[in-house]
Amino acid sequence: MTNTVATPAAEAPKGQSTPLLLLLKLRTFIALIAVVVFFSLMAPNFVTVANVVIVSKHVAINAFLAIGMTFVILTGGIDLSVGAIVGLVGMVAGALVLYGVPLEMLGVVIYPNVWEVIGIALLVGTFVGFVNGLLITRMQVAPFIATLGMLYVARGTALLMSGGSTFPNLIGKPEFGNQGFPVLGAGTILGIPLSIWLLLVVAGIAAYVATKTPFGRQIYAVGGNERAATLSGVNVNRVKLTVYMVSGFCAAIAGLVVASQLVASHPASGETFEMNAIAAAVLGGTSLSGGRGTIGGTIVGAFVIGVLSDGLVMMGVSEFWQMVIKGVVIVGAVILDQMQRRIARNARLG
Amino acid sequence: MSLRKTLKTVSLGLLAGIALTASALAADGKLIVIITPSHDNPFFKQEAVGAQAKAKELGYEAAQEAVGAQAKAKELGYEAAIYSHDDDANKQNDLIDSAIAQKAAAIILDNAGADATVAAVQKAKDAGVPSFLIDREINATGIAVTQIVSNNYQGATLVAESFVEAMGEKGNFVELVGKESDTNAGVRSKGYHDVIDQYPDMKMVAQQSANWSQTEAFSKMESILQANPDVKGVISGNDTMAMGAMAALEAAGRKDVLVAGFDGSNDVRDAIIAGKIHATGLQPAFRQAQYAVELADKFLKEGKTGQPEKISMDCVLITKDNAAKLDNFALKD
Repeated sequence: MTNTVATPAAEAPKGQSTPLLLLLKLRTFIALIAVVVFFSLMAPNFVTVANVVIVSKHVAINAFLAIGMTFVILTGGIDLSVGAIVGLVGMVAGALVLYGVPLEMLGVVIYPNVWEVIGIALLVGTFVGFVNGLLITRMQVAPFIATLGMLYVARGTALLMSGGSTFPNLIGKPEFGNQGFPVLGAGTILGIPLSIWLLLVVAGIAAYVATKTPFGRQIYAVGGNERAATLSGVNVNRVKLTVYMVSGFCAAIAGLVVASQLVASHPASGETFEMNAIAAAVLGGTSLSGGRGTIGGTIVGAFVIGVLSDGLVMMGVSEFWQMVIKGVVIVGAVILDQMQRRIARNARLG
Repeated sequence: MSLRKTLKTVSLGLLAGIALTASALAADGKLIVIITPSHDNPFFKQEAVGAQAKAKELGYEAAQEAVGAQAKAKELGYEAAIYSHDDDANKQNDLIDSAIAQKAAAIILDNAGADATVAAVQKAKDAGVPSFLIDREINATGIAVTQIVSNNYQGATLVAESFVEAMGEKGNFVELVGKESDTNAGVRSKGYHDVIDQYPDMKMVAQQSANWSQTEAFSKMESILQANPDVKGVISGNDTMAMGAMAALEAAGRKDVLVAGFDGSNDVRDAIIAGKIHATGLQPAFRQAQYAVELADKFLKEGKTGQPEKISMDCVLITKDNAAKLDNFALKD
């Protein structure tokens, strides 16, 4: 691979790079540098170590979702349920920490320790993704509809778990042996929050799977041309089922981090997160029609969005303008993407 | 094929069942429909429960779950149905349509917008269904039977006075505003500023909307703290945002920053007792919703409520002194 993390579009023809094409290929990275430079001039304390850490922490939550989303979009699908999974997983973790698992027949309550809480929560997220995958592969429901339905089911379930209210103070109790949940959100290694380390690990694994494994190649193959992939022996349904499970798993990580940071879980957590995740993937050069995009590009895309929203808050720009600016940037990125493809195609033909 | 047929029969049967239930209720004309914003904000939830509890006392049986409602409806003549409009005026319009279709006896409504609601309430009135508004008013009179609102402005000035006093009348502060399309967000912000702006040494260094959301308040507060490390106080348009700000301050190890909220939820009560939040304004949500049902009952029986259309209920300041008496949006004596 000659592409670095910074170049989202992987399939541009080699050896024919015009300067303009190179510029377009690097557009997300250039955009990131541009927004960072802009805010370092406009917002006080923007380029400080502490703030870079805070921004990265905020980006991490969206990046977890966006990584799973990238796999799904690479197969030509979409996962609208990830924001709702964030809420649901937070509520599951909150309920386990506060109330444990009541075994009514035996009249006892089992309080799982923090690792078990995290494990169960991750399983719940993965299971929701599994159901999405089954609906899409076995019942032939379009991904948009299947995951839209799941969005409502998961959000509704999250609200039902507490009747709509918050599970507060998820600190656990020494007598139950379930303390430590807030560490995931507040803990640090070498001064860097755990969620950022976690993002490095997840992004590293995801990039490796996407580029270096047969499964990764199968994902691109399914998204590029599903029929050709089937004919060449790829188990398309298995690939699709797996990417939705990966997306659910990634959403569960984000849900755990959000609940742990707030030391509380709120059933409305994660509302519209799916849109930010899709935006990060698209901004990073992932094509919604599938088969094109990279994990590295998505991470850069997530950073562009994160830097924009944090920077605008620090500048004191009103919420309304923040929304307008975000929308313009996303659509602008897609326009550049189309431009790049056109130029690359012409270069190839000419 | 046969499976599909069975499914079809079953669903038709279910539809018929629902229609029958609806018409049975309609025949009695004893359904009270309660429409509030999303129940995931503890304040609104209490409002729904408050109205329900009163409905029960008065003989209207309320039930949250569809199954329970059906069973109870047979036992008693009355029923209360609860819906939420999620702050979506369009959805609210649909809910009011269905309340009219069900020939509800009355609608208790915490509305989705001061202007956007007027037409919907008028429509209900034209169809002979009286509306009783709680918590938020609409920009029209003579359409709803009553509009019981908590005096958000008065409550906000109480919170702001206590906030200013605790800050020693000076220092940098941050304001987290609610959803800017919601009337109460603006009224509370005005109440805060009408008090705070009188003190020249109180300086607002950042003002952001966190859309009533805890998650959003958390991340925005973290960014604001980076831009303005010298913040000494946070005044927030509601309790959930105050909780988000509190979590961000804790994550930054800032124990010196004062936080104030609004609503009087149990979560913030506990934080006040623990010394993490300074004060909040209690809206009498429970009492308000109950009062609306009482007035609805009176109106249905006597044709009038005997009260003016606009009724204002004062808010109460909650600090460490009285926090222990607060439970589910009501103060115990």
